[in-house]
Amino acid sequence: MSAVKAIFLKELRVEVRNVQAISSYLLLTVLILATFRFAFAATDPPMDQIAAPILWITIFFCGMFSLTPTYKREVENETLDGLLLAPISRSSIFFGKLLATLVVIFGMEFFAIFLFFGFFPVEVPDLLALFALVAIGTFGFVALSNLISAISANTSLGAIILFVLMIPILLFSVVMSAVGGTARIFAGDGIGEVVDELRLLTAFAVIFFATGYLLIEYVLGD
Amino acid sequence: MRPLDKVRITLLVVAAILTLVSIYLAVLYAPTHTTMGDVQRIFYFHVSSAWVAYMGFGLTFVTSLLYMKTKDLKWDVYAYSSAQIGVVFCTLAITTGPMWAKAVWGVYWRWEDLKLMMTLVLWLVFIAYLVLRANVQSRRKKANLSAVFSIIGLICIPLSFAANRLWSQYHPTVIATEEGSLQASMGFSFGIALLAFTILFIYILLTKIEIETMRETVEELKQKVGGRHG
Repeated sequence: MSAVKAIFLKELRVEVRNVQAISSYLLLTVLILATFRFAFAATDPPMDQIAAPILWITIFFCGMFSLTPTYKREVENETLDGLLLAPISRSSIFFGKLLATLVVIFGMEFFAIFLFFGFFPVEVPDLLALFALVAIGTFGFVALSNLISAISANTSLGAIILFVLMIPILLFSVVMSAVGGTARIFAGDGIGEVVDELRLLTAFAVIFFATGYLLIEYVLGD
Repeated sequence: MRPLDKVRITLLVVAAILTLVSIYLAVLYAPTHTTMGDVQRIFYFHVSSAWVAYMGFGLTFVTSLLYMKTKDLKWDVYAYSSAQIGVVFCTLAITTGPMWAKAVWGVYWRWEDLKLMMTLVLWLVFIAYLVLRANVQSRRKKANLSAVFSIIGLICIPLSFAANRLWSQYHPTVIATEEGSLQASMGFSFGIALLAFTILFIYILLTKIEIETMRETVEELKQKVGGRHG
């Protein structure tokens, strides 16, 4: 447990010190939302129909950009060998990094949702349902992206490979349930009506956590 | 001639004969479908292609698990070979499907049909799998990472089927009703097409495995004589 905590604190320190990266993720969030706002300004479709996909596409793309360097920087700075030689299990590296990225993504999401309501003013009667859905969806998304980030760190391609590997898996798992549930919340449904979506997102999150825990050995090992 | 070569040649001959027979059965022997017309004939090859694609992807999943258990690179070669064949036949399935769909449904694609979505997702996952393999240098890393990726890619599929209930409010199950209404002669033609494609799959798989194994041997020899690192 202390190994997970040590990795978590180390990762968090690296993230916080990298002010330039944080500001670029936040700027990217603004730009993606602004692009959607300008793109839909011409046709002006009903807000509650387009809002849910826009929110999640923003979260997914900003999230994937911010998760790309999680393992890549260990390879580039040649610190991965040191990390692997430390007398700790590979799964504690995985969970330490996962917790730190969760903090970063939750921070980014808080900013994104705040901005989102500025760009797309939709009525949300049950705000708690929205937060629950975003939180559970994020758990699954972050668990999957940590494992894929570890895989993509070993390739010769840059950030693009994370997107190529992530998106096909995300489509069927998190995208459909998260967007479907959020659309219903924006249409006026409460937490009781989106229980099925919440259950499904929880199931995917559990699967991705378990797969990450079991398979990280193969990804980081030789 | 090695016994494996004999098996391969026999498979090739049988696959070629059965393919020709299935073309004859699908185009000339099977009656025209009462409601769908001649366009229904695409189905004999469309469903067979999809079947081979699922078989290829399923085999990749199983052999990836075997690789992770044994660490024997032989299983990785099997996984890679069957994934490549799966992608080719999945491409055939998702190009022939819309030809039929446009004529019968009036649209090329139904975004609310889980079967179509699953096939498209599998196609994208395995294209990503091939991209991943092409971009990892070390042989052992390539095997490890692609095995992990194929397992993550396929592990979600059963749950997505369970989620069908949640999304079923949007889509009707179309394919089952068509198959349910197959006449005996259509069923026979379909069975032969399926058999022909299955034997073709086994033949291509064995050949592909042999080619990949030879490629690996060449790479090993190159490294031994100090040639280019593969």
